[in-house]
Amino acid sequence: MNSSESHTRRVSAWLNVTAGCVLMLLIVQFVTGAAMAFYYVPSIDHAYTTVSFMEKVLSSGSWLRSLHHYGSQWLALFVFLHLVRLHSREAYKHAKVQWITTVILLALVMAAGATGYSLPWDARAFFSTRVAEGLVGGLPFVGRVARLWLLAGTDISTLTLSRFFALHVVVAPLFILVLVTWRVIRQAESVCWQSLTRNAIAAAVVFLLLAIWSLKFPAPLGPSVNQVTADYLPRPGPQFLWLYETLKHLPGGLGSIAGIVLPVLLLLALILVPWSDRGAFKKLLNHPQRLISTIILCAIAFWVITMTMTAYLSDRRDQRTRQQLAKQASDEKSFRSTPFTPGSLVEGRIGPATEAQTGVPKAYIQFCSTCHGQHGEGATQGQLRFPPLIGVANKPQRTVHDIVGLLNDPTAFGLQPPMRSFATKLTEAEKKEIADWVVKLK
Amino acid sequence: MAIIENSSNPTRRKFLSLIPLGIATGILTSLGTAAFRFLRPRIATDFNENWIDVSAVREVSGEEPLTKKIVTERITGWALSSEEHQVFVLPRQNQVLSAVCPHEGCEVAWDKQTKRFSCPCHESYFGPDGSRLSGPARRGLDQLPSRVQDGKLQVKYQSFENNASEQIKRT
Repeated sequence: MNSSESHTRRVSAWLNVTAGCVLMLLIVQFVTGAAMAFYYVPSIDHAYTTVSFMEKVLSSGSWLRSLHHYGSQWLALFVFLHLVRLHSREAYKHAKVQWITTVILLALVMAAGATGYSLPWDARAFFSTRVAEGLVGGLPFVGRVARLWLLAGTDISTLTLSRFFALHVVVAPLFILVLVTWRVIRQAESVCWQSLTRNAIAAAVVFLLLAIWSLKFPAPLGPSVNQVTADYLPRPGPQFLWLYETLKHLPGGLGSIAGIVLPVLLLLALILVPWSDRGAFKKLLNHPQRLISTIILCAIAFWVITMTMTAYLSDRRDQRTRQQLAKQASDEKSFRSTPFTPGSLVEGRIGPATEAQTGVPKAYIQFCSTCHGQHGEGATQGQLRFPPLIGVANKPQRTVHDIVGLLNDPTAFGLQPPMRSFATKLTEAEKKEIADWVVKLK
Repeated sequence: MAIIENSSNPTRRKFLSLIPLGIATGILTSLGTAAFRFLRPRIATDFNENWIDVSAVREVSGEEPLTKKIVTERITGWALSSEEHQVFVLPRQNQVLSAVCPHEGCEVAWDKQTKRFSCPCHESYFGPDGSRLSGPARRGLDQLPSRVQDGKLQVKYQSFENNASEQIKRT
């Protein structure tokens, strides 16, 4: 063996490190995901608050979330690179199990990324959920039923968020864990220590880069869903930019084909490549396996790279878009530096429910009790004093009729902010119910 | 790279095989440290500070202890939580007892027939003044700091260590 040959062999040995990087990134996803699950609440009124809490209050929260956010994108990239590496070693012929499990892993990683995007329930998440809804709903034949199942109803609700949470935190990781554990155990005996060392060193380098990247660029957190203004421009994460750009160029109905049907068919075709060297294919082509898998991988790479570049370029070229995106980025930055405001847990009672709690109007608990107390006892929050409502009927101008009027227009009854008008927030029946209940408080 | 390929020396090989182990340890340690800092509980300090109205003083006149609900508000992590607690106002003395059983923390109730407090969980019994009568509890019911202000009885809500013979404020 001459020296240039052994040099080539060494270089190619260093290309066999994608597996180690994938494994490392999976471990990062599992650890950071598990940590965040200790705080995250999958409900539309608390999801955003809990994610902001991790970002702003908890030590290392921003770093852990960024690792999870960027890690998911790098993971998709490295699983694809692993597939390319397997392809160059003709794994579809000699190592079918490795080939097939890697294709399935790519699908699972993409699915985990898609469901995870909804969880922070910020503007970005909301729009990505909308797009997912649209794509699934547009599927031929099964669209309507698939959408109902995904959303847990006809429209996006808190149940939808719970479903995405369960898919992201239970279903996808379970499949990934089983698949990867099986693969690792199966392969453990045949791994030589040189290869293990090379993989470990590569994984360390990638981890270091990811760690530094995550420190430098905290994962984005947009405005909450109910603060979104009409000019907000949602953009997906880099691993889905190809889909976002493709959807811009296709007539509406074809989105589901490009976003779901085609990718699934391509992945299915990749899974079936090991069996393509028989029958009609064999007669037509010399190396059907190599040819078909090369075409599919190149097509995927070409599609993703072109569309991602187009997406970046078209955002940069248009001045108004560029300005708006820059404004959003600076808004997010200033949001990060504003202090965290806790969300309220109105009915957070520890222990069994009591008689006193029954009979309190639901609307009162929702809109009034944060300030005036659960039973109208009033409260103090910092410098603000919220008067008790107990005995309010003994005061002048506080009949049931007056209280309904007061809820519509507090200033007309001599009240000042923070008491505000509930004219549009409450229905007439709710106002009456609250007034009827308040005058009886003693 | 050359080091890895050409290491026929067994000691050197052994040393080099420690590299993967070291790297795995390094990555897991950095993640583990961050996770530890992230999950470490944060202790609320502003919990016991507010005086809360329990009742008007004129109400506390009968022979029996009065059962009252008070609501505390505190910031627990990301949430501003209001929590309801049961307390007993002892007649004539303006003393307020917490309903939390000093044994395992269930809520005790006033039994009108036997004129004593009883715990539904493990049958601890307490006299009308809150003193321990029988059962597994090691002390009587806990007295809460109270005062009279503008004709109103006010209390500070606190919680105490279970199963101690003395009343020790939980920290």
